[in-house]
Amino acid sequence: MIEVKNLKKTFRVHEKEPGLQGSIHSLFRRQWIKKEALRDVSLAVKPGEILGLLGANGAGKTTLVKVLAGIIYPDSGFVKVLGHVPWQRENQFRKQIALIMGQKAQLWWDLPAADCFLLLREIYQVPPLQYRKTLDFLSASLGVKDLLKIQIRRLSLGERMKMELIAALLHQPKVVFLDEPTIGLDFTSQRAIRDFLLQYREEHQAAMILTSHYMEDIESLCERIVIIRQGKFVYDGPLAQIADQCRQEKVISVTFSGENYEKNIPFLLEGKGSILSQSNEILKLRIPREQVPQVASHLLQNFPVIDLAISEDEIATIIESIFRGEERGEEK
Amino acid sequence: MRYLRLYLYFLRFSISRALEFRIDFFFRILMDFLYYSVNIALYKILFLHTPTLAGWTEAQAMVFVGAYLFVDALNMTIFSNNLWWFPIFVNRGDLDYYLVRPISSLFFLSLRDFAANSFVNLLMALAILSWALSQYPGTFTLSQLFLFFLLLLNGTFLYYILHMLFLIPVFWTHSTRGFDRIFHGVSQIMERPDGIFVGWSRKIVTTLLPFALIASFPTRSLFEAFSWDILIHIFFITTLFFMILLFLWGFALRFYSSASS
Repeated sequence: MIEVKNLKKTFRVHEKEPGLQGSIHSLFRRQWIKKEALRDVSLAVKPGEILGLLGANGAGKTTLVKVLAGIIYPDSGFVKVLGHVPWQRENQFRKQIALIMGQKAQLWWDLPAADCFLLLREIYQVPPLQYRKTLDFLSASLGVKDLLKIQIRRLSLGERMKMELIAALLHQPKVVFLDEPTIGLDFTSQRAIRDFLLQYREEHQAAMILTSHYMEDIESLCERIVIIRQGKFVYDGPLAQIADQCRQEKVISVTFSGENYEKNIPFLLEGKGSILSQSNEILKLRIPREQVPQVASHLLQNFPVIDLAISEDEIATIIESIFRGEERGEEK
Repeated sequence: MRYLRLYLYFLRFSISRALEFRIDFFFRILMDFLYYSVNIALYKILFLHTPTLAGWTEAQAMVFVGAYLFVDALNMTIFSNNLWWFPIFVNRGDLDYYLVRPISSLFFLSLRDFAANSFVNLLMALAILSWALSQYPGTFTLSQLFLFFLLLLNGTFLYYILHMLFLIPVFWTHSTRGFDRIFHGVSQIMERPDGIFVGWSRKIVTTLLPFALIASFPTRSLFEAFSWDILIHIFFITTLFFMILLFLWGFALRFYSSASS
């Protein structure tokens, strides 16, 4: 359904020294730097699959989504979405996709949602009967049936986002791009939107690509994730595998009584794990599960330990460490 | 047909929105009333000093003033709000949602906002034009009037095309108002009778910057023997510039960087 091979995209941005002098300088001589937003990425998504796209700000998530939706042109590479080249923007292609951006509203601010939906019905040429049925279904399952006639700007953020979702799905797209759809929403709204997306996927076997900063979104929606760092995919595989990893390792936090312990750490670790963080008195170690008792007892015997706690890594922490590019065993 | 139905939606939305802002509504009428008065006064004063200007009598010049005010009002009503926002949209990355819809993005962006506020001004401009036509000593045939209005509609479209061509560089320069200002400077050519341009300048205002074709040539069609050459020239230039616009639009979108969220 979505196929991407060796996709590359660079942006040209100019750099400016701070201050007025820098501004004048850059007026005459511009320092252009190339920012590689996507470096040679490949990807395939099947119908009914929800792919989670994770990465720090500026890693290239949104750029990838925009190339796939046909908004921006790549430098090189092969892309087919539903058999179309996105940036050729054929109507047949655009009728089957939807784009939802949590940060950019698509609905007319001053109008009730119902009016906007009518316009969209005309744009996508949805047959009246199908339109009525879809709108009923969508507004009922998101619980916003009573709000359709209220001006968008008088709605709460969560309600507005639900309207945006309806607007995006009225034409029953086969491919849906969701760029941070739950940003800024409260917990209940986030959950309603997640449940709804799963329901939509069930019913239409739509492929979805989701970017989000909320781990909850990813954990409840995506079986597969791609982690992107500086324009490169550093992980593409099941979320479960990363979850397994956090069960295989534990975090030991030790508080020392102010003594200098640092020089003994290399000896302590000897290939048994890694240092997560370290300050004057507190040391955090990530240790393979089977080594935990050994390391813990070693610590207690040889150092003036005040406190020692053993905990599990959260998925979010692991993924974040992959964002930052820390070497972690078997990942590429 | 589908595009016509879409446009009716744009109309409906814009009107219901405009009625919410009453102060703006009346302010706009006052502004344009002043603008119209200044334009008429300008030519009235010129004719205190000379019996004819570039071959036109005062009565003829008044028809010309009515013609370009009408084109201006039409343009304000149909296009100008949209074109005002356009460079901002490009810079802010707000084109995204227009590009993913299965309709022409140029159509959507150029026409989505109908300035219902300016509609009253359009009526005022039409009244001025009717008055100018009625006080002209000669008479016009019905077909002459029909052609005149057809050419004015064409002129409005040509004005939009030229404006858009001046705005498209924003994809590269990211300067929101730079080229818009240049356009508003250059576009004043349309408010001058084409008779004052001779030699090279005449060639330019009828081909490269064809502002003379917007209101002046249509006005001329009322007073002179009908010539196929001129008519073909006007429609040829309009079509050519429209093709250039379509091509440039497609080309410029390749450089749209969609400022990231």
